[in-house]
Amino acid sequence: MKCRPLALAAKDLRLVFADGAGIIQPVLLGLILVFVFSLSTPVGEEVPAQAAAAIFWLATSFAVILVFNTLYSLEGANQARIGLLLSPMPVQYIWMGKALSGLVLLLTAQIFFLPAIIVFLGQDLMVSWPGALGTILLIDWGLVAVGSLLGAMSQGHSARDSLLSVVVFPLLVPLLLAGISMGSFFLGEGTGGEPGSWLGLVLAFNALFTGAALVLFPFIYGEY
Amino acid sequence: MKNMQVNANKNSNLSLAGALVLAGGAALALSQYFIWIHAPVEVTMGLVQKIFYLHLPAAWWGMICFFIVFCASIGFLLRRSPAMDQLAASAAEIGLLYSTMALATGSLWARVSWNTWWTWDPRLSTALIMWFIYAGYLVLRQSIDNRRKMRMVAAVLGIMAFLNVPLVFLSARMWRSIHPAVFASEGGGLEPEMLTTVIVCVVSLGLLTAGLLMFRFRQKNIQERVLDLYRH
Amino acid sequence: MQIGDNQEVLLELDRVSHFFDQRLVFRDVSLKLYRGSVLLLAGPNGAGKTTLVNIMSGLIKPVHGRVITGVPREKTAFLGHYTFIYPGLSALGNLRFWAGMYSLEISDHELAKILTTVGLKGFVHESAGTFSRGMAQRLSLARVLMLRPELMFLDEPATGMDYGSRRMLRDQILEARQNGAGIVWVSHSLEEDLDQADMVMYLENKKMAFLGRPADFRMLPAEAG
Repeated sequence: MKCRPLALAAKDLRLVFADGAGIIQPVLLGLILVFVFSLSTPVGEEVPAQAAAAIFWLATSFAVILVFNTLYSLEGANQARIGLLLSPMPVQYIWMGKALSGLVLLLTAQIFFLPAIIVFLGQDLMVSWPGALGTILLIDWGLVAVGSLLGAMSQGHSARDSLLSVVVFPLLVPLLLAGISMGSFFLGEGTGGEPGSWLGLVLAFNALFTGAALVLFPFIYGEY
Repeated sequence: MKNMQVNANKNSNLSLAGALVLAGGAALALSQYFIWIHAPVEVTMGLVQKIFYLHLPAAWWGMICFFIVFCASIGFLLRRSPAMDQLAASAAEIGLLYSTMALATGSLWARVSWNTWWTWDPRLSTALIMWFIYAGYLVLRQSIDNRRKMRMVAAVLGIMAFLNVPLVFLSARMWRSIHPAVFASEGGGLEPEMLTTVIVCVVSLGLLTAGLLMFRFRQKNIQERVLDLYRH
Repeated sequence: MQIGDNQEVLLELDRVSHFFDQRLVFRDVSLKLYRGSVLLLAGPNGAGKTTLVNIMSGLIKPVHGRVITGVPREKTAFLGHYTFIYPGLSALGNLRFWAGMYSLEISDHELAKILTTVGLKGFVHESAGTFSRGMAQRLSLARVLMLRPELMFLDEPATGMDYGSRRMLRDQILEARQNGAGIVWVSHSLEEDLDQADMVMYLENKKMAFLGRPADFRMLPAEAG
């Protein structure tokens, strides 16, 4: 327990998994999205890989919103936020801790989404599992960097999940386009551009917003 | 004495804003001459091409307004001055208005030129995504009651939104390569008369923008002061 | 206890003024907190006592003026209306988490001992979510004691506590003072707490209306309303 962001994340995960709702809700919502989307094609017809990838990332985006709302509301119960701010550590540790626990929760949700698109959307071809998992991990990094920064604003007032999604989704567009494009590549529609250049874009996004979050997080969480 | 000076200063700001708006209006009226008489009718598209003279200045000044949001947001975080926040809010509103105009005219253009209302043109898509982001920005400003928190969060979002622009543009351009290109890229060569007209339009809309921005900024400033009277 | 210039100053406010937006909360507050002393902060509702404590503890940066302290954050503790307790963790789990945030090496045995001190002996592994307000505040006090603070900020810590808990709280505060801690104490029940204080500061009309010894404060006509 030496590393404080890790300790923070461990505490969050213990609380979320003990309660259950914080992880069940995003998983359920994602599964429902995938299932409903399977109705968009006539029975017996194949869903294009790109569409499957799109719905996978859409489900993930909703999970980001729900997960970070839950994570930051944990600090709201008895204003533990103030306790964290008074602790002898940089405020950014809180962002890191939340990003870490958010990443774990997001991956947990995706463990359910992935089979769901295989089952409901009939995707059975996976070009490269390691490549696909690496891609998911990389894009998730960008998602949690932004999610952990802007999720912090949802705490302590009446702003609901919907507000957060309106603000966050458009910011995530570059990442989602990359995810969909690379996803369709890995789901067998190999024509989807060059994954290499998308990879560069994702790395640029991650670097930019990780840096921005480190600079900007204290303003969102530390004051007022 | 000092107070009077401040007031005089405010009044001169007001008259400057008024002068800018009037000049902008006059210039826009003048630009009609350039649009309809000076510039030739484009061969393939005909009269519809005139949309371009509204589309381009609106898109440019919209982007510049978003850039002002970015700068003012940084200024706010550094100085904590409410004025910076008001400037950011005013610029976001006007920027949103202009990008709405740019999107609507762009869509009309696309319909005539490429026979589709919407196409994944990188510039058009970027404009649409920016429209979403700044619409969200304004909604956010409305929905947080705690003013200090709202300003802080809005400033952070104002910075993130603009940082995102190059990435959005890049990703939109890469995305297009997946789809068959609906059109060949626009020819760069403009007739000299057309170029003059574009410049006239950009400048006149710029004057109007500056005036509007100052008016809106002042309005927000006064609004806040009135609200402060209540809060005491 | 005598307060004199030869004693170590733990915290100093130098002409601190604060605004919320354009609204003045208070101006020109200057004071010193000495080692091993209790400073009682009093004043009518809305006088800005909580804001002042937040400024002292470093939670809020004042608009004007300076807060000077040599005490590191590790040795600073805060006990307020809010308990900072996670209802999903046990009493021990809560303490262990906060110990981690302060990079404190402390065994479960010692933590259990602290919980015994605050009267939560039988509740070590009990989920904090089931605690009453008074018990939660006791747990919060255990968190503060665990840190062995040199600087303590108490913002109406007795709210919602029964008589026994209040007495226990007071005993712990006095013991901390004995051990050399500097304590800032926001109180609503002046009569009860005045005896414990070494200094009193009264905030009223957006400024420091009184700063001095409790005895002198008592002499003032009907100010302690």
